[in-house]
Amino acid sequence: MITGLVLLAIFFCCTAVGIVVAWLVPKHAIPSALAYSGAICSAVLIGAGAIGLFSDTQVTAVVWRFAPFGAISVGTSPFQSLFILITGAVGLPVSIFSTNYLTHYAHRYNLRYFALLYHSFLAAMIGVLIAHDVLSFLFSWEAMSVLAYLLVIFENDSAPAAHAGLTMLAMSEIGLILAIGALLLLANSAGSTAFAAIQVTAAGLGPGLHLAVFLLSFVGFGVKAGLVPLNSWLPLAHPVAPTNVSALLSAVMVNLGIYGIVLVNLVLMPPTDRGPGVIVLVAGAITALLGILYATIQADLKRLLAHSTIENMGIITAMIGAAMVFQAAGQSVAADLAILAALYHLLNHSLYKALLFAGAGAIQNATGTRDLDRLGGLIHRMSWTAVLFLGGVMAISALPPFNGFISEWLSLQTILRAVVLASKPTRLVFALSGAVLALTAGLAITCFVKVFALGFLGLPRTERAASAREAPRATRWAMGLLAATCLILGALPTYVIPVLDQAVRSISGSSAAAALVPPFFAPDRLPPAFVADFRAIGAEIGRHLLPGRGLVILLRGGASNPVVFAISPSYGVAVFMILLGLLAVGVRLRSGRQRVERKIPWSGGIGRLIPGLTYNASAFANPVRVVFRSLLRPKLTEEAIENIPVHFRPALRRSWTETHVVDRLLLQPALAGIELLARTLRRMHIGAVNVYATYVLGALLVAFVIWAGSR
Amino acid sequence: MSRWVLEGLRTGIKSTRYPNAPEGAAGISPGRPASRVIAAQAQSPCPTDALGAANGMSIVDYRKCVHCQRCKDVEPAIVDWQQDYEWAAKGDAPGIAGELNRQFQRSLHIRFVDAGACGACMSEARQLNNPYYNMHRLGFFFTPTPRNADVLMVTGPVTQAMWWPLLDTYAAIPPPKRVLAVGVCAISGGVFGRNPAVAGGAAEAIPIDVAVPGCPPPPLAILHGLLVLVRRKPPHPLTSGRQPTLEPAT
Amino acid sequence: MALADGCRTIWKGRATVAEEGTVCRLRCSLVDLVQICEWLTSNHGYSFAFLVVEGKQPDLRLIYAFLGRAGREWIEIEPSLPTARTHVRSIAAIIPAADWHEREAADLFGIVFEGHPRLGPFVLHEGAKRDVGMTCADFAESFTPSSELERPTVEPMLEAPGAFAMPIGPVFSDVAESVHIRIGSIGEDVSRVALRPFYKYRAVEKRAEGQDIDTALLLAERFSGTAAFAHGLAFCQAIEAITGTSPPPRALLLRTLLAELERVRSHVAAITGICNSTALAVATSVAAILEEELLRLSCTFSGHRYFFGCLRPGGLRSDMEDTLCHDLGRAVSGIAARLDRLERMLRQSSSFLDRLEEMGVVSEETADLLGLVGPVARASGIRRDMRELFPYAAYTAYRPEVPIGREGDCYARLRVLFREASASAALIGAVCHDLPAGPVNTTDPQPISGSATGIVEAPLGAAFHWVHLGIDGRVRRLRITSPSFANWRGFQSAAEGFAFQDFPIILASFAISNAESDR
Repeated sequence: MITGLVLLAIFFCCTAVGIVVAWLVPKHAIPSALAYSGAICSAVLIGAGAIGLFSDTQVTAVVWRFAPFGAISVGTSPFQSLFILITGAVGLPVSIFSTNYLTHYAHRYNLRYFALLYHSFLAAMIGVLIAHDVLSFLFSWEAMSVLAYLLVIFENDSAPAAHAGLTMLAMSEIGLILAIGALLLLANSAGSTAFAAIQVTAAGLGPGLHLAVFLLSFVGFGVKAGLVPLNSWLPLAHPVAPTNVSALLSAVMVNLGIYGIVLVNLVLMPPTDRGPGVIVLVAGAITALLGILYATIQADLKRLLAHSTIENMGIITAMIGAAMVFQAAGQSVAADLAILAALYHLLNHSLYKALLFAGAGAIQNATGTRDLDRLGGLIHRMSWTAVLFLGGVMAISALPPFNGFISEWLSLQTILRAVVLASKPTRLVFALSGAVLALTAGLAITCFVKVFALGFLGLPRTERAASAREAPRATRWAMGLLAATCLILGALPTYVIPVLDQAVRSISGSSAAAALVPPFFAPDRLPPAFVADFRAIGAEIGRHLLPGRGLVILLRGGASNPVVFAISPSYGVAVFMILLGLLAVGVRLRSGRQRVERKIPWSGGIGRLIPGLTYNASAFANPVRVVFRSLLRPKLTEEAIENIPVHFRPALRRSWTETHVVDRLLLQPALAGIELLARTLRRMHIGAVNVYATYVLGALLVAFVIWAGSR
Repeated sequence: MSRWVLEGLRTGIKSTRYPNAPEGAAGISPGRPASRVIAAQAQSPCPTDALGAANGMSIVDYRKCVHCQRCKDVEPAIVDWQQDYEWAAKGDAPGIAGELNRQFQRSLHIRFVDAGACGACMSEARQLNNPYYNMHRLGFFFTPTPRNADVLMVTGPVTQAMWWPLLDTYAAIPPPKRVLAVGVCAISGGVFGRNPAVAGGAAEAIPIDVAVPGCPPPPLAILHGLLVLVRRKPPHPLTSGRQPTLEPAT
Repeated sequence: MALADGCRTIWKGRATVAEEGTVCRLRCSLVDLVQICEWLTSNHGYSFAFLVVEGKQPDLRLIYAFLGRAGREWIEIEPSLPTARTHVRSIAAIIPAADWHEREAADLFGIVFEGHPRLGPFVLHEGAKRDVGMTCADFAESFTPSSELERPTVEPMLEAPGAFAMPIGPVFSDVAESVHIRIGSIGEDVSRVALRPFYKYRAVEKRAEGQDIDTALLLAERFSGTAAFAHGLAFCQAIEAITGTSPPPRALLLRTLLAELERVRSHVAAITGICNSTALAVATSVAAILEEELLRLSCTFSGHRYFFGCLRPGGLRSDMEDTLCHDLGRAVSGIAARLDRLERMLRQSSSFLDRLEEMGVVSEETADLLGLVGPVARASGIRRDMRELFPYAAYTAYRPEVPIGREGDCYARLRVLFREASASAALIGAVCHDLPAGPVNTTDPQPISGSATGIVEAPLGAAFHWVHLGIDGRVRRLRITSPSFANWRGFQSAAEGFAFQDFPIILASFAISNAESDR
């Protein structure tokens, strides 16, 4: 029987083969070779993830016994398989997309080296996901961080890339150190490095240790997930990487941060107190708000998507925090719902973020810029890309029938579930977080309306935008695959929820699907009395009349809240299609006799509108900038008035800079403090040998005193 | 806010009953000269050559009369003064489309263009929306965009700089469309005539379907013009007198 | 006169000073022009009124007119321009109020004002034929449209992230006059406002050349229909000053009556415009009712709703009976009472005031520098009313009340409009009962040559008609300076620093007539 582990072994072999192949084929064939090998590896991953997700038993294998530290073991529990599946599902289109994308790098950079890094990066991420002991986990994590750094600085002749990569590496290492601390504390108390052993002893941890492990792991893994206040690297690193790497970073690597948080705080060490959960919830809500706020005011498309990643990670984290609170309060149904919402959002985000990054890459290749203020009118030149990008935009704005809608709905329902909690302050925190998440959703729509409307519609603002060419076929196929998946996941959520439920069950032990997607019309699952009543009045309950367990998601309130929330995107899609069809037919019949004349847009009598006279992206986002001015605090760097002879009025030039609020309040003061400390310490380096000798003597004295004191 | 509602109710209904009943209030129209039997060839005091004579009667060419009121003071009288306001006439250039058909009778959207007018015609057009005339009750509306418009209302003698914007606006209106020229300036150039700065009337640029003479035509005359355009009222000739035709005005 | 003596002492040898009645004429050389202007404005507090350019190349004549702060102080400076000389030093750097006058002269006459920061197509847009200017020899009756639609050039007047230029006009979205406004904004914050006027340039001044007084009066009256009486009055006063006729007393009082009636109607129209811009529908309707009633009153009283054809040099064209005047007084006081009521209600509408207070602020220094006139200037604290400074018609006997505001925002302008309207109504009420008997016009004067300025306080501000009659009694040059021309520049700086939504309100509070400004 082929288990997940067997497939994973095949995956590692395929990776190795892919690297070797990349070194052997001639230069011009590397992009397609990479695409094929990446696609095959990802397909294998999908298979492995699917098998692992549906198998009821958890498979573990010991790979190596490493004498002083313990065994290196790997395994595929459904929870881990879900992440593997997501990795594969994103890796497949991204690899397809790489075919065309990498040809731009063929001349200047070494693509064999890129292939090596790419495959190793995939392998390292899988290594993190299948690790079942502390050592392999940390080793894979470090490998992944370093490989990510190398990939980010791949375009090594650009200065921003170097700075971004270094920031990312530095913060990753800080996170790693904290995570090491957390995992070692756990291993220490368990006496073994195996996750299974830790899981057993975690219940016995004292509250102080519990809190310490929580804080260390939350901050350590939070760096990778891009949570505030540790997110400074994300908006720097994601834009400068090559687009397929950015897609992987935003759609897969940040998931590992969530994986780490869930692993430590829900799987290994279930929460006993609601304090940590509240902290996670609040941190998630604030992250979401800050992320989307900065996304809305960005004009650089990739940086905007990076900030949006922060926002979505915030939403997922908030859900995890809610799950922790519910679990600590013993409300297992609500906790499962929260974990389901988090995982669903994670899955959705990976898909549509990859789609959006692929679109951004296509735009960058076609027009040479990713500045929204210099795009416009692309829908005429790049129609396919525009339509598929629109799918991604609708998904990320949580509009039906795409997948973002259902995961946003589940998130907000989770927050509403706070009524089952007993403690009033906690309920208040939930309410406020819910309000923040709702604000986030509103800003998300603003942000992505800006992206689509000002990037694709209207007049082209530069020559390059006016002469853009449609994206090549492979890119369109990749984007189409992702968009179709988003649509299917959004239109048929009742199929997805039972699948995700497997992962939820492996985390918390109980199932959420039974509460959410009750099987209608399947008599063997309904209580017999209910069926008998129906039979008594002569009706027969249809057997599996409707597919997908009725295609309706139901959410029942608790005993104190006897309401039912129901939603069915599937029926919505069906009705929408029918109405659209009728409308199309109606329009066709009515307008059959009308003729269409095309004229230039009305401009008030000045003739043709030129791009400098139309709205641009920064202008669209300006009201948001004005409303949140106290948070953003733009600093005016230049204001100059110049008398240009032919103009009617003196010309004005203004420019300002905005530093991220986290950088301004935390990072820069911290760096300033460190620099101050370093400068003070530097005074020790006078350069005279006798002073150094004095230092050595002083150190010896101190050591002597300590040794004497410990005696 | 309720204060304003009460104020509105207190002010009451001021709308004129026109076109269902003639309006007779004082000051609604300056009136205009009408034909009169004149004894001999009197000297015309008209600065724009609107006064002529034929068959023993004085003939007024309304395309040129600018309401300077100089012919009023002449002794012996050479014109009768007519206090009416239904002044609109159909354009006579070949190839114009004429009135609109029945669909527009109670729903007409007007795009206003100022092609260099002095401001009085525009002020009279603005009065169409005040409670006295209230053209909304007749189904006439001013629209901000030419795409929704059915009628282009032009005032002014069409200056150099407004030539192309006027043509732009006309081209931007989808068919069926009509043009209503309001004021003598839009018909023949008015006091500005025709010179290198001014085209001498909107007919130089676009075909005029209905013309409302006057300087400025009072709001009721403009209303009459709109009603002529939608076939709710008959037009009146552009010249006075019983003669249906006139020697072509030079 | 003190100023004349001062000129003689300081500029001895470099300038010749002559006094003709209340006008002081100073001739100087081109070199001293800027210095003398600076001395006038900074030492004596004179303000720039207008610049007249007469003649054709190579014989050009320049006259700079200034008016003083106290009453009846008027000085005209004429630098001696050598033949075929077209370069003159610009005074716009020290007197910003002269900026647009110099630009217009440069565009129409081809004079180069050295040191002026921005000369270029101003009156005649790009693509228009140059012979429409004042120097064209033959202003024949033929018209050729400009070659192609002038391409809008996007001058980068604002460089900032997210900046773009928003074009408005020339065809506005509602019933409005044609002008082009380019707003340089970042998002919805207006940072720069640039105007493109003269879309309605009808070359009135050029057309008046060579016409007899009667026809020229028609042009002077009709170029701005909403202030027809005021401009016609300025022209008639100039002709009367040249020919030395003075209208009979009854005519002077009736002229005052008509001028004040026009002022009330114009102010009510401006108030309607402001209420309309803030979308306060009932207030707009109430004000519109008052405006229509005033128009009907004007028609009943004078025979035309906008007072066309009432004036002639030497008096009025026809008389108005006393009973008619008493009726007018009664009706106007009724309207004034309703206007007061409207003002009280508006003052209590906080949402309305929110949109007007602290919007479109023009400071006193800016108003002074730019030479703003009329209610706009008075709302910024500049007390400049031609009825006070150069009393004409019956204003010596009936001194008008001149309300002054301090803040210079839209609300101050609205308050000044209300108070001026009620002051005018009170004046009408006083005058209509005091009419003496007598004729209303004098005989036609003999043709005589000469030049004079007719100064009138039009509803929107100070209007100056400089008329030069030739030997045959025909007009050689008519130079019209309208209040809207002066106030446009104030609008540019008033609207900067506010948002898109405030823009139409600030525009409505300035109540500028483009026809008056563009001529």
